[in-house]
Amino acid sequence: MTAPAIQVESISFNYGDIQAVKNVTFDVQPGEILGFLGPNGAGKSTTIKMLTGQMAPKSGVARILGKDITADDPEIQAQIGVCFEEKNLYLNMSGLENLDFFASLFGIKDADSMEVLRRVGLADRAKDRVHSYSKGMRQRMMISRAFINKPTVLFLDEPTDGLDPVTSAAIRKTIKEEAERGAAVLLTTHDMFEADELSDRVAFINEGEIVALDTAENLKLKYGKRSVKVRLRDGDGVREEHIELEGDGSSARLAELAASPDLMTIHTEEATLEAIFIELTGRGLEG
Amino acid sequence: MSRPTSRPALVGALLKKELKAYSRDKIYLFLTLLVLIAIPVAYTFLPTTVSETITLAVSPPVTSMIDDAKDSLRAMGATDEQLAELDNADLSQQQEGLQLIEFDNEADMQRVIEGTLEAWRTDDGELTLRDKEAGEDEPEGAEKLGLDIGIAFPKDFITDVAAGKSGVTVTVYSDANVPEEIQGAMTSFVREAAYQLAGRQLPVNMADEQSIILGTDRVGDQVTLKDKLRPMLLFMVLLMETFSMASLVSTEVLQRTVTAVLVTPVKIGDFLLAKTIFGTFMSLGQGLLVLFLVGGLTVQNWSLVLTVLFMGSVMFTGLALYVGASGKDFMGQLFYTMLFTIPLLIPAFSVMFPGSAAVWVRAIPTYPIIDTLVGAFNYGATWSSSAGSLAYAAAWLVLLFGAGLFALKRKVETL
Ligand SMILES: Nc1ncnc2c1ncn2[C@@H]1O[C@H](COP(=O)(O)OP(=O)(O)OP(=O)(O)O)[C@@H](O)[C@H]1O
Ligand SMILES: [Mg+2]
Repeated sequence: MTAPAIQVESISFNYGDIQAVKNVTFDVQPGEILGFLGPNGAGKSTTIKMLTGQMAPKSGVARILGKDITADDPEIQAQIGVCFEEKNLYLNMSGLENLDFFASLFGIKDADSMEVLRRVGLADRAKDRVHSYSKGMRQRMMISRAFINKPTVLFLDEPTDGLDPVTSAAIRKTIKEEAERGAAVLLTTHDMFEADELSDRVAFINEGEIVALDTAENLKLKYGKRSVKVRLRDGDGVREEHIELEGDGSSARLAELAASPDLMTIHTEEATLEAIFIELTGRGLEG
Repeated sequence: MSRPTSRPALVGALLKKELKAYSRDKIYLFLTLLVLIAIPVAYTFLPTTVSETITLAVSPPVTSMIDDAKDSLRAMGATDEQLAELDNADLSQQQEGLQLIEFDNEADMQRVIEGTLEAWRTDDGELTLRDKEAGEDEPEGAEKLGLDIGIAFPKDFITDVAAGKSGVTVTVYSDANVPEEIQGAMTSFVREAAYQLAGRQLPVNMADEQSIILGTDRVGDQVTLKDKLRPMLLFMVLLMETFSMASLVSTEVLQRTVTAVLVTPVKIGDFLLAKTIFGTFMSLGQGLLVLFLVGGLTVQNWSLVLTVLFMGSVMFTGLALYVGASGKDFMGQLFYTMLFTIPLLIPAFSVMFPGSAAVWVRAIPTYPIIDTLVGAFNYGATWSSSAGSLAYAAAWLVLLFGAGLFALKRKVETL
């Protein structure tokens, strides 16, 4: 196995009395996408801030490409790309100028900023000031900026936040391309479909602690239950019944309902990441 | 993959971006234009007269002069009516824009104007003289008068004038710090007043400069209002620049673009250095432009003026960094800029008015800067004569600039 690109050992952070991150441990391999899921305030962004050197962990050790993050090494910083939660772009500069400026900070002389903008669908607005961009366009600018240095390690904090479904799908494709190129990607999202589609592994974080970390498939096996949903006519209304496929006597009950004249539909119910999420965190995503 | 860039290249890239941001913001452009156009224009059309209440010292007291004259005038055949008319001409009666302080003794008056003797006045108009050097205490319940111009009438002035004697001369004493324009105005005023008394033109002379020299350094130099304004204009440039620069810093902080910059190979030191260089050179550049437009740089003073201007630019940039780190929005920005710059402007205003600055004014960080500028522009100050001021300015500079750097560094690190 290759050395992990991101290696986190029991890091913690507190803002005064608020314990935002508690003893978080995980790693991300080159070419791997780790989905970081958790309710609002769980500590996802705080973790990313520590890993990108914006704040030092109060305890624990984290290494990027083998170097301790607190070393603030320009060689490491040259190889990371960050899409921040907040859209911190230079509004008075055009999309192209924003990218060219950051390329110059990375020492890239022949940056093809236009090509990067094309990837996120902003080529036709390249010369306009970011001021005039819509919310979704600004979000795409954020992603293109994270890509400008062809990073080895990518931190994406809610990269598809506020994007329409078609654009989201296009952006997900570019994220996949980055991973295929060999970048290690740490991605946070509130979109379970996106997490499922992109992530090689997912980590659930709740109240600062990682409560589960595995491939989506394994988690579904572990936490999900195979069940079917049966809908039946009930007088003028409709009645639903969930039948676990694993419990004793479930098949008998299912056969009985299937024979009922009131039967309307039978659907299999796959365990979703969302269901696991709710089970693990005890609340819905918007909680 | 990219290679790490050299620090100068990074700072260069940051400066380029800074210039772009600066040139694109309407507020900065407006302020810059204001500085480059309005100030020199205003300077050119600056009025040469000043309207304010003038406090004038006079010796001997006008009433006693009149009383003394009455007897001899009566002896010369003047009627009571004529003598009553004389009372009407009494200058000591309150006139708008003029306040007379009467001295029994011409020598005392001269010393007060020179500044070697203090004149204090109680609420009921009693005049007390205090020789500070001789260790006399401040008189109680009295306020210190700032007297810069005094008129000495010769003994038997009125009688001599009435007798038509020629060669009657009135002497005007003036502090060298009083602008030429005001001195000129005073002379004509005295001529006018004398005419009223005497009914004809009298020779009114400015006393020989040598005899009324004041202060220690500024011997014999008469400084015009315009000359006095020059350092203040330079200060205005620095103030405007402080505001622009502070906005530039706070935009970066409030929009958190600095966070994006700092996750690249750029270090916080590069960021602070770029802001400092940019702020300093914008101030310095505009200061030089204004200087070029209003004049004042000479073969003798240029190195001193430029050095002091540079120090002022760095000092104000430090202030801009501090303000930029503190303001939460545009209004907060404005508030902080005003809060800090107005006190710092006080020394610039104080040099416009005659007399030496109060101790608390000298304590303001910008005082040594403005003092050296004034010295270099108007009094032929040299490097050695300004060494003390420069050292004092340097100490303040380190302190203020350090505070600015520290505040911004802290702010950025805790974003
Ligand atoms: N600057 C701050 N000062 C004080 N507390 C903070 C700060 N930033 C975050 N926190 C607290 O730290 C905890 C974790 O916040 P964090 O931003 O990491 O959550 P998150 O998982 O990214 O949430 P979201 O899904 O809403 O983005 C929260 O309780 C939050 O209130
Ligand atoms: Mg977050």
